[in-house]
Amino acid sequence: MEFVEKAIKEGRSTLSEYESKQVLAKYSIPITKEVVVDTKEDVVKAAQQVGYPLVMKGSSAELAHKTEKGLIKVDIRNDEEALKTFDEFMANMSDIKDPAVLVQEMVKGQRELVVGMTRDPQFGPCVMFGLGGIFTEILRDVSFRKAPLEKRDALEMMREIKGQKILDAVRGMEAADIEVLANILINVGQIGIENDNIKEIDINPIILSQGKPIAVDALVVVG
Amino acid sequence: MTVELKEVVAGTDYERIFHPQSLAIIGVSAEGYGFGSGMLKSLLSIGYEGKIFPVNPKGGEIAGLKIYKSVEDIPDRIDFGVVAVAAPLVVRALEDCRRKDAAGAEVLSSGFKELGTPEGKALEEDLKKAAQKDFRIVGPNCFGIYCPRSGLTILPGAEFPRESGPIAFLAQSGGMTNDFINIGKWLGLRYSKVVSFGNGVDLRETELLQYLGDDPETKVICMYIEGIEDGDAFFSALQQVTARKPVIIYKGGLSPAGQRAVASHTASMGGSKAIWDAILHQANVVRVSSTWEMAQASLAFAMLPERSYQGITVAGGGGALGVAACDEAEENGIELPQLKSEIQEKIMAILPKPGSSAMNPVDCANPGVPPFILKDVLLHAAAEERVGLQILIQLLYVYKAFQRRENMQSLREATPYIELADMMADVQRQTGKPAILVLPNNRQNLDDLDLEEVRREAWRLFIQNNVLCFENLTEAFRAIGQVSRYYRRREEILGN
Repeated sequence: MEFVEKAIKEGRSTLSEYESKQVLAKYSIPITKEVVVDTKEDVVKAAQQVGYPLVMKGSSAELAHKTEKGLIKVDIRNDEEALKTFDEFMANMSDIKDPAVLVQEMVKGQRELVVGMTRDPQFGPCVMFGLGGIFTEILRDVSFRKAPLEKRDALEMMREIKGQKILDAVRGMEAADIEVLANILINVGQIGIENDNIKEIDINPIILSQGKPIAVDALVVVG
Repeated sequence: MTVELKEVVAGTDYERIFHPQSLAIIGVSAEGYGFGSGMLKSLLSIGYEGKIFPVNPKGGEIAGLKIYKSVEDIPDRIDFGVVAVAAPLVVRALEDCRRKDAAGAEVLSSGFKELGTPEGKALEEDLKKAAQKDFRIVGPNCFGIYCPRSGLTILPGAEFPRESGPIAFLAQSGGMTNDFINIGKWLGLRYSKVVSFGNGVDLRETELLQYLGDDPETKVICMYIEGIEDGDAFFSALQQVTARKPVIIYKGGLSPAGQRAVASHTASMGGSKAIWDAILHQANVVRVSSTWEMAQASLAFAMLPERSYQGITVAGGGGALGVAACDEAEENGIELPQLKSEIQEKIMAILPKPGSSAMNPVDCANPGVPPFILKDVLLHAAAEERVGLQILIQLLYVYKAFQRRENMQSLREATPYIELADMMADVQRQTGKPAILVLPNNRQNLDDLDLEEVRREAWRLFIQNNVLCFENLTEAFRAIGQVSRYYRRREEILGN
């Protein structure tokens, strides 16, 4: 895959969020609508393309933890805010190679999931599913399957986490679209099987927006 | 989708490996105790019927058998070799066996990769090359094969049962293999084939699993695993075999995975334990966490009809029945449905009063209710269609008090275990639903060892009567839960 090969050629071990999501999109995984801009002139056009309210994030392959560095801003409502945020982020990233800003659709939803792929030295690519966002690290409520996954595996692993009820219609929220989620799990496994140079994938969070899962942040580790 | 498997290597003559008519034991010494002489004596003691040809360059005689100076001197062809010479001489001994048309050999000798030295590793590489399609190696650094039907046995293994059964066992560890057979011997397990394959240069987990999957003699496969050679092949073999018969695995060596400093959450959470848990679950393996649990699970799989059990009854009298026990049933996916009122009435009509209850669990009020009454209780309860299996708790130690009270000579005379065995077998026949005994012994004082002796005698008789037994309710629920989960999930997977 071109992004992966390019990154390896440049001696990088991770893809940027944007590149990571392009990899996911190639495997039919729903991602946020987003545009990368590196000059101020393009900000307004990008914002109009994505539509307000929107999210802006610092974007560089060297950036793994954007939250800690104050490089995420949500609920940006107009051109003025967008331009101001662009300037701030670019100033913050002055010591980073090829800085840019990701202008991204703001996905509304209260439920966050994680889907990942890791390579086990003995069993090869394995797919992870669990509670996303900050709960991934706090609760470690996750399940695994070896790839390739059958649909039954995907359905089973979603029901194996302790917090599985998050997928149901709870507190007035719509039930998660299990079919789409199952396909995401199957396809993440497929990425692992078909691309030896992709070492790990971490999609966190996948937000359930009216039940529809959308990959909001993603990290692809290559090598 | 499943990964294409290596075919079970054509040319491997498992029949001659597990049931050899003639054996060469290379590396016996007329004096002292070595692995070779030890194996020879164990084989004679267990009553191996085939021909044995001991080999040692010094010649002489051992246990009335001529020692051949070389394999070449053996007048007949041999089916299988037992090699117990020093590590550097092993390859030569294997080549000799092959020239005598052997189908394979087990190498008891150590001094290979396990040493961690360059010499050891080099010798192991040489050994690997000595394996051929038509000449398979078990070992090195192993205790060998136990096959009750042919009389092959592992070290020391002189007094293992000759009676065959449906359970197979595979392990790298010879010590674990001995433990498992020894537990099984009194618990009631009978084996088809047991292999301790040590370093496993040639025949090891995946291929042996595939072979046992096809082996009509084997109905339940147990494995103790530390490391495996090829994850993909092993996983595929597991999936294929568990579609046909249960595979029970005790996985050792699962230390918490080192947390790598990585960018992604997934990698830091996918340590080997989490992945092994997932892999075994995905392949519908029955997972156990001790040799004892493995023995109990395999006994349950060997004895219970192949189906899942959800509703059960528990009956007994005295202290052993409790609410807590029934809570444990639920944790294992088992329910104790309340019996229909007409069934309850029938049971109450025959149980002693007061203190009894015909709800489920059925409290017989008194631990000494005679077998003919218990039989009717079980027959009535089986009429409840939501019940697929019954458990009867028997506190055999109450008969000790009975013996004293009635001035009987022996505890054996006072304990109605023969009646119990017949009664349970009858109940199973008449109802078509398994009836299981739970036989706790809460009196294990030194001066109560007669109790334990009678209990063991009773246990053996129950198993002979095809009545499954457990030491306590917790372990019974666990094993029934494992059996039920396996068959339920197998149906789901196959139905997919």
